[in-house]
Amino acid sequence: MAGKLTAGAIGKMLSGEVSTDKEMMPILQVTELKLIQQPRKNQDSMERYKLSLSDGIQSQEGILNTTLNLLVKQGKIQVGSVLRLTRFFSNNVQFRRIAIVLELEIIAEQCDIIGNPLPAQPPSMYANTGPVSRNEAPPTAVPIAALNPYQGRWTIKVRVTSKGELRRFNGARGEGKVFSFDLVDADGGEIRVTCFNDVVDRFFDVIVVGNVYLITKGNLKPARKEYNHLPNDYEIHLDNASTIQQCYEDDATIPRNQFHFKDIGAIESMESNSIIDVIGIVSSISPTGSIMRKNGTEAQKRALQLKDMSGRSVEVTMWGNFCNAEGERLQSLCDSGLFPVLAVKAGRISEFNGKQVSTIGSSQLVVEPDLPEARELRAWYEREGRNAPCISISREFSGAGRQEVRKVITQIKDENLGTSEKPDWITVSATISFMKVENFCYTACPIINGDRPCSKKVTNNGDGTWRCEKCDKCVDECDYKYILQLQLQDHTGVTWATAFQEAGEEIMGIPAKDLYYMKNEDRDEEKFEDIVRKAAFTKYIFKLKVKEETFSDESRVKATVVKAERLDYSSDTRSLLEAMNKLRTEDANPVTTNPESSNYRSGAFISGIGTSGTRETSSLDVPRSEFGLPAANQVNQFGNQHSNESRPLGGATLCDACGSNAHVFANCPSFLSEPQGQHTSSVYGNTTGRNAGGSMPRQHVGSY
Amino acid sequence: MDTSSPAAFVNGALLRRYIGQKVRAVVQVIRSDIGSVTGKSTDDQQIVVKGSPPPSLTTFLEVIGIAESDNTIRADVWTNFGDNFDAGNYNELCKLANGEFRHMFI
Repeated sequence: MAGKLTAGAIGKMLSGEVSTDKEMMPILQVTELKLIQQPRKNQDSMERYKLSLSDGIQSQEGILNTTLNLLVKQGKIQVGSVLRLTRFFSNNVQFRRIAIVLELEIIAEQCDIIGNPLPAQPPSMYANTGPVSRNEAPPTAVPIAALNPYQGRWTIKVRVTSKGELRRFNGARGEGKVFSFDLVDADGGEIRVTCFNDVVDRFFDVIVVGNVYLITKGNLKPARKEYNHLPNDYEIHLDNASTIQQCYEDDATIPRNQFHFKDIGAIESMESNSIIDVIGIVSSISPTGSIMRKNGTEAQKRALQLKDMSGRSVEVTMWGNFCNAEGERLQSLCDSGLFPVLAVKAGRISEFNGKQVSTIGSSQLVVEPDLPEARELRAWYEREGRNAPCISISREFSGAGRQEVRKVITQIKDENLGTSEKPDWITVSATISFMKVENFCYTACPIINGDRPCSKKVTNNGDGTWRCEKCDKCVDECDYKYILQLQLQDHTGVTWATAFQEAGEEIMGIPAKDLYYMKNEDRDEEKFEDIVRKAAFTKYIFKLKVKEETFSDESRVKATVVKAERLDYSSDTRSLLEAMNKLRTEDANPVTTNPESSNYRSGAFISGIGTSGTRETSSLDVPRSEFGLPAANQVNQFGNQHSNESRPLGGATLCDACGSNAHVFANCPSFLSEPQGQHTSSVYGNTTGRNAGGSMPRQHVGSY
Repeated sequence: MDTSSPAAFVNGALLRRYIGQKVRAVVQVIRSDIGSVTGKSTDDQQIVVKGSPPPSLTTFLEVIGIAESDNTIRADVWTNFGDNFDAGNYNELCKLANGEFRHMFI
């Protein structure tokens, strides 16, 4: 039976011949087992097990790592258990050798004591607090996991993963300064180091993120969990006896970052303000914006959507420097169609229209990390994630920040836009093909009502004054406001729309009043026609509000131009190119058609691609060649070579049923009885599967 | 100029495919001399355009002519394209017009 244990192992450990598992993984028996409580300030006292390990001949004292406590509690480790030490460290403490056991294998839970081991040292109680041994610090480095308050002289070889700012404070003893930095070692253990006052001066400039250092002799204190989010119960406080020495040769066994990732799906149920690590594919990213903080300073922020295999996506907000550095890189990666993997360390969960993740001072972002999780994500994405439905746990602002939903004109009719309770807000890229010049404006009430002019139509009193019914007043001079009836045309179809004041001015380029005078008073026909001609046949990006209105039993779908912008060919072309790329890469990953998916209408559709193809199959009678598109924009001419898909463009968690941003399609109140298709939150690369026969408005399931 | 065959959109890399044939390209003018203009194609390669350039040149210039070698064009038609031009988009156009969608162009 003595053959079971590694005879002589203890002897070797005592003599120092064996100090870590690298030399030997001995099989030893537990001859004594004792629980020690370490009281901690403001926290539960920590339990640790002290034991005696024997090789049948001698025994030595050891301490179990707290991660192994459970095994003792479960009874798997008891007096008599035979264990193989797979990761341990044998250390000299106050003239005694202690084995710190990090990992072990249980060979036998119960066994009679083998041999008659002689304790190598007289057993004694450990001090519960206050370490400090007088021995030499071990020449080799200990793993972070082995650090404990009993041993003051230790050396660790670590890499700095993050460095905090230098902060000053006013305490009872006057002014002070403090800074912290986080470390990781070759085993993946992490710990935070804090320095105060003089120690700050010694080390602040020495510490550089990413470098490897040998650090010796600090104090182990319990970790302050409100500030310290690392998975370690301790943190190191350096003092004047501590030393930090840089290792100029990098140690590849020490990882650059240590993450403990959570699924995006799990975030939903986590508490606000908790700190997590998360990894996912960046499915979209918006440009940097700046917002005003309450104290008047401006802050840069940039949002992106991250999705992972849990089928959920979350909005991640970057603040400050992250916007520029990582932000730009992510943007260019997304723009070129390679949706990168992003790992976020120490992001804070906040609750604001759903859950979001924000960066904080100590956050780190790693683009395309070299981690197995990243590779797994990439493989999942290529396989199915690209097109998989994804529910966003971050809901967008309702109201402000409406995102662009690109459509083509025929979609207005085909998808019955505007027929639901709420109006549909869409964006089309179109040309004005006709403008009704007869009544291009109306006489409007100029009286300021609140912060806007009343603008209601005023009636001519006959004597040169105008009366407004709403304000119940008469005015001498009225305003002239545009009410332009326009015919908008793109390569798919034609529609009428009305442009009011702001949009009208943008299109015509001249205030309504001037135009009115020009036509009616000055009777300058030529100039008038000139202006009209200039406005027509120009391509704009129109933001339309489409709503069905009923006029005495007759309902018509009317479109109002909310905004008209001249088309920037350069950026529009780029979006089209992207859309094409997306289309192409999705063709390479075909997804099975799902009739359910026909119910789904995702974010934006690309004008010119996909849907036009659909139109053809359903015998659209407007041939594309008629449309007067400028020849320079040749990219527009394609479209249907590829499949009949609609692809989202631009971002949106718009509810497709009603255009509101307050909820996603699945939760749309106007819509609950219908079978819910798949749906995505935003953007680039999130699409549903192919729609059978084309993009389906929800009312037309199966009609194509 | 022979207008029977359409001119192929080329950038630096595609020019060599059309030696002896009619091409069109947009270049960014680097240097202009009598009888030739040295330009940078939309994919950052050097192209020499021979012929008689117009007296004033804007930053970007479109030339239509016969490709003489893999970096020279003998141009008949010169058109100033102004100073603002998205070379990236044009480059994509060249790639698409000669690749996936060539049946739409030639």
